[in-house]
Order: sequence, then C-alpha cells, then structure tokens
Amino acid sequence: MSDLIWLHEEALRASHPLFSASSAPTQSVFIWDDAYMAAMGYGLKRRVFLYETLLELPVDIYAGDTIETLKALAETSQASRLLTATTPNPQLNDIMGALPLEVTRVAEDAFVEMPNPEGLRRFFKYWNKAKKFAFQPNGTR
Amino acid sequence: MEIQPKDFADRDALLAHVRALSPSLSPEDVQVSDTVGGRQVGEKQLAKIDPIAYGHSRNYLGGKVSYLSPYIRHGILSLNEVRNLALKAVPQGEAIKPIEKFIQELAWRDFWQRVYQQNPDWIWHDVEDYKTGFAPDDYSDTLPDDIQTAQTDCAAINYFITTLQTTGYLHNHARMYLAAYIVHWRRVKWQAGARFFLAHLLDGDPASNNLSFQWVASTFSNKPYFFNLENLQKFAHPQAPCEEGDNQALAGSYDQLAARLFPYGVSS
Ligand SMILES: Cc1cc2nc3c(=O)[nH]c(=O)nc-3n(C[C@H](O)[C@H](O)[C@H](O)COP(=O)(O)OP(=O)(O)OC[C@H]3O[C@@H](n4cnc5c(N)ncnc54)[C@H](O)[C@@H]3O)c2cc1C
Repeated sequence: MSDLIWLHEEALRASHPLFSASSAPTQSVFIWDDAYMAAMGYGLKRRVFLYETLLELPVDIYAGDTIETLKALAETSQASRLLTATTPNPQLNDIMGALPLEVTRVAEDAFVEMPNPEGLRRFFKYWNKAKKFAFQPNGTR
Repeated sequence: MEIQPKDFADRDALLAHVRALSPSLSPEDVQVSDTVGGRQVGEKQLAKIDPIAYGHSRNYLGGKVSYLSPYIRHGILSLNEVRNLALKAVPQGEAIKPIEKFIQELAWRDFWQRVYQQNPDWIWHDVEDYKTGFAPDDYSDTLPDDIQTAQTDCAAINYFITTLQTTGYLHNHARMYLAAYIVHWRRVKWQAGARFFLAHLLDGDPASNNLSFQWVASTFSNKPYFFNLENLQKFAHPQAPCEEGDNQALAGSYDQLAARLFPYGVSS
C-alpha cells in the first residue's frame, strides 16, 4: 500500500507524527487553496506567514482546489491511501470526507493523555481533570 | 500540475508570489507582519520563554508573555513540546507552582480545541443567551467604519486596532479590551468582531478566537466581561495611550459603567 501524505495548515512541522505514520509514502504535499483561505478569512499577513513556514517543510506545494488536486495527485502517484492530521476543523474534515480514497487521520501529540470529557462547557471542569496530567512530561499520568 | 517554488531572492519576492497565488485577496490588503513564519523562528522564540516571570507579569502588556501563538496555532510547535520545555524551568522534585499559570494558559488552547471538536457549530452560533439584558437583534451585524479605520473616540482602542492590523498580534489583555469595546460599548455582534480579528491575527483560530469572543460577550460565560479606564491604566500603560481625556467612554467605576452599558441589568 502506498500513501499520499497531505499536510494541512494545522500540522505544519516535520516532526508531526504524520510523517512517521507511513511505511510507504509516495509524496508529501501541501495544497495552497485560495478559496479555502478566503473562506477561513485569511488576509495577506497570515498567508505570508504560512508560505514562509512551508519553505522549511519536506512537502511539495501545489496550488488549486484541495479536493481536485489531491485526487489528481493520488492518481498520478498511484497512492491507495491518504494520510493526514486529525483536526476539529469541519472544513478540513469535509474535504477528507469527500475524497474517493481511504483516509487515515494521525493525531497530534496529546497535551494531556486523557479522553475528551463529555459535554465540555466551562474550563474549570476540564481543568480539574486535566491538571492531573498537564504537569507531567508528555501529559501522561 | 506545477510544484510551487520555495526559493525566493527576498521577502518581497515571496510576497509577490503569495499574492499571485491569492486572487481572492482584496487589493487594499497590503500589510505584512514582521513576525516570520517557520520552525526555525518558532524554535528561537520557544528558547526565550520565561514561564516563571510569566506567572506574575502576564496580565501586563509589557509582561513576559511567550509570543508563541502563531506557531502553536499552525502546529509548527506542539503544545506538548512547549509544556515539556516549561517544566524544565523548575528543578525536578520542586513545586510546580511558579509555572502553573503558564501551563494552565496552554491548557486553555487544548480546552478550546476539545470544545471545537465536540461542537463545531458553536464557532459561529451563540452557545447561550446574552446575559447583558439585550437580545441578539439589539447588536449590529457589521463592524462600524471607525473601528476598521482605528478612528474611534478612544485612543487606547485605536492603538489596539492599529497594533492588530500591523503586527497580526495582540496581547491577551488587549484582545479582551478590544473585544469588550466592540461588543459592549458599540453593541456589535461578537461574530463581526471575531471575523475582524481572524482577518488580522497570525494566530487567528476559530476555536480560541470565537469562543473567547463568546466568553466576552456572555454567550459562553455567566456574565459579560467589561473593564474600566483604571484597569486599562494599570495593565496597558505605557504601551497604550491611557489618558482619561483621550478615553472618556472608558472612564467610571464598574457600577457606573455597568449602568451605562447594561441599562436593563445583567442576568445570569
Ligand atoms: C477576544 C480574544 C480572542 C482570542 N483569539 C485567539 C486566537 O485567535 N488564537 C489564539 O491562539 N489565541 C487567541 N486568544 C487567546 C490569547 O489571547 C492568545 O493565545 C495569546 O494572547 C497569544 O499570545 P502569547 O503566545 O504571547 O500567549 P502566552 O500568554 O504566552 O500563552 C502561551 C500559549 O498558550 C496559549 N494560550 C494562552 N492563553 C490562551 C487563551 N486564553 N486561549 C487559548 N489559548 C491560549 C496560546 O497558544 C499561547 O501561545 C484570544 C483571546 C481573546 C480574549
């Protein structure tokens, strides 16, 4: 099985667990999607910051619609799976859901190694649980 | 399909390329921040954190805050590695009290991300009712021109707006002041303020930004957040112009301001 690695805007570092999750990566890419950035409300300042960040990363940058570009890249590289980073962002999750490919989401290193408490609302309810992990290296108890 | 370049003669060349790849940008959007993207700069910034001094100075505009937010926002630095480094500021086995505040602030980001994961639709919708005595329809949908152009009648507020627009960064306290001014003094919907912040902040994040705005507005907290000139003078002087004559709308006791801003009374 060969994998296409799609790095999106929330996981922009080479040490992200995403890069070690595949034994058969074909290519790692970032898609510069103007319409997506406009929908997120990103102005010039943010876009320059993002491009500067990409300069140091082991990814090829393509410009275009994210779904169409990823589809085309998967076809050219004959990737059967797409690896990408987990995100709460519904726009990115919708893109993942719309791809005609198997998608594997790789989680960021946890800040606190605890499951999400049900019905989160006020910070201190979260903090009362999280503080048992937060002061330990790697957030483990 | 063409791979985009990564070699540029200078920042201007990179900027021109970004613009060419960004037809949706308005021609008036020309400001670039001095803050440079990338892991190398992020690591340099990380090496400078002082989590102990942070604990007692973070509320002041000149306090020892980390400036890591844009790097954390885009995963350039992980919360985990920032916390792991902060832990080293106290010798092993000693009380973690001096760095507790810093780590708790990192946890705020984790908290907002988890809320976002559970409730993506809370990002643009009122989570709860306003507790300000007003209904959502009493708030304007759009940001007034004088806010967008930093021409309000409060000098400190204009300073915060200009800082946001030129640097893409605002200190946490300044974000609270400006958000409260927009929502409570000017009675503008928090969504309009949140959109304005997201367009300029390098760290602009749907969860941290919009849920903080809802916290200020009271649609995701038990009461509205507001402040007075005395508080501003304590924390924002000398960075922001805090003279009373230049900021009259902010002057008064908390009771006086509450009566002015929330004439129907605050509910809980
Ligand atoms: C109205 C409003 C809007 C905000 N919008 C954003 C936003 O879009 N993006 C964003 O990252 N933060 C936002 N914040 C939270 C906070 O203001 C910034 O994270 C902080 O000011 C960034 O500066 P720093 O890196 O020097 O923070 P430090 O105080 O040094 O904190 C270290 C890190 O902890 C995290 N952090 C600290 N405080 C908070 C907090 N209250 N909520 C969430 N994370 C926190 C950030 O990742 C920050 O980089 C907002 C706060 C308010 C009141």
